Amino acid sequence: MVFSVGGRMTGVAPTQGTLMTSFNDTRHLWALGACLAAVGLVGMAVRREMVPDDFGTKGPYRASALDDIAAQPSLFQADATCHACHESVEHERAGTSHEAVGCTHCHGLAVDHVSIARRGAEDPTVTLPPAAEWDGDFLTKTDLYISKDRATCLSCHQAVVGMPADFKKIDVAVHLEEQGASEPLSKETCFECHGGHDTAP
Amino acid sequence: MSLFELPILPTLGAAAAGGCASGGCSSGGCGTGGCGSAQAERTSENSRREFLKTATTLTLGAMSLTLLPGVTAGDDMLPLPPPGGDGHAPAAKPMYGFLIDTTKCIGAGKCLTACRVENSVPEGQSRTWVERYVHYKDGRVEVDLVPETGYAGSGEVQPAAEDVLRAYFVPKLCNQCVDAPCNQVCPVHASIKSPEGIELVDTERCIGCGYCVQACPYGIRFMNHDTGVADKCNWCYHRVMRNEQPACVEACPTGARVFGRIDDPDSEISRRLATVPTNVLKQHLGTLPLTRYVGLTDEVT
Repeated sequence: MVFSVGGRMTGVAPTQGTLMTSFNDTRHLWALGACLAAVGLVGMAVRREMVPDDFGTKGPYRASALDDIAAQPSLFQADATCHACHESVEHERAGTSHEAVGCTHCHGLAVDHVSIARRGAEDPTVTLPPAAEWDGDFLTKTDLYISKDRATCLSCHQAVVGMPADFKKIDVAVHLEEQGASEPLSKETCFECHGGHDTAP
Repeated sequence: MSLFELPILPTLGAAAAGGCASGGCSSGGCGTGGCGSAQAERTSENSRREFLKTATTLTLGAMSLTLLPGVTAGDDMLPLPPPGGDGHAPAAKPMYGFLIDTTKCIGAGKCLTACRVENSVPEGQSRTWVERYVHYKDGRVEVDLVPETGYAGSGEVQPAAEDVLRAYFVPKLCNQCVDAPCNQVCPVHASIKSPEGIELVDTERCIGCGYCVQACPYGIRFMNHDTGVADKCNWCYHRVMRNEQPACVEACPTGARVFGRIDDPDSEISRRLATVPTNVLKQHLGTLPLTRYVGLTDEVT
């Protein structure tokens, strides 16, 4: 029996030089070692397959993920984008209480408007489509709007518990009474007294 | 043959030597006590030493394989941040900060729509939200969420102003913790702390286990219904990389959200942070948030 332990129990202590010969199960260890090496090699092959090539070059993550995330398009335009063409509006709004209110609040994202306008700067045959009809679906479409609907104004200014004390809160009924106006109101009723870009009454 | 007779179990060598009667002790040299016990121990000692020698050689040999170039995936076993110009200090990167001024928020909800549109967040989920804290005169404090249309568009019944002691809005978004718990728990390295310090989700690597959602003490992370993987506010990383402001900052009509570089002393956020007392949420957790608040009360967590 090759697995026998007793096989090496000869009753005589082997000398230093005959250690290997007295140990007759070496090939099992070689088999064990081969198994371990095989497992290690398979593991390394799997790891090589699973771990992205650029993993760890910038930190413990897939480095190209940074570029993937940064490639997402920007939908919201800063006011500077609008003012690049609409300089007069910038001057009109400068110093007013609504200077910090983004153009998008009343005009929508206007992504299409901007991209068409940029093409139009190079190709004069490209013309801008007219502003779309406001439907109250604020900021969820990429068209350009011109909103004079009082709902737009009230989306910020309607008095709500929790607003800061110095914010201009409007309770429509009270405000109209103060101004001597009465129902029924038109959609554009705010603009009967207030301006658009400069909203002072 | 029983397992105990196999020589690959060195610690059992002595027991096997003594108990070989149960196996095939063909030589019969030493049965149970047939030979001197000292001799048997020495023999057993020698075979154990042989075993250890061979096993160690094989193990070291197998381990040395991993040192060979090209066998492993590279030097990325323990990735370290790339060194800076002198090879020691980390490279100088822009540092960003976010300041929420609760005294300016009007609860219009513009930031909520802006974030949803900019980042294609599915309906019913949000990367950012605005809480309203209403302190009543009778001591109660109630918290509700600002609807995406704002209260004006929602038609919700408002608390009676005469019962209210104080009320204010608190926008919430990712705190971008320097020591982020959500980052630490990701099992597949899909949680990324970008070189700029912004916490990101690698949606390609994320397996959707949701562990990070559990780990975030601020409840910022969620499982995106559309993609099935983790999603979170990333301060509009794609915009920041183009030197643009995050969408919610662009959308805020009152300047309650301020974003900028805190390594630039001339930026608006740096000036504000230097002059106005600010707090962070759940400071006791030691997560070191980069999102700071003006006007937090103890009720806000």
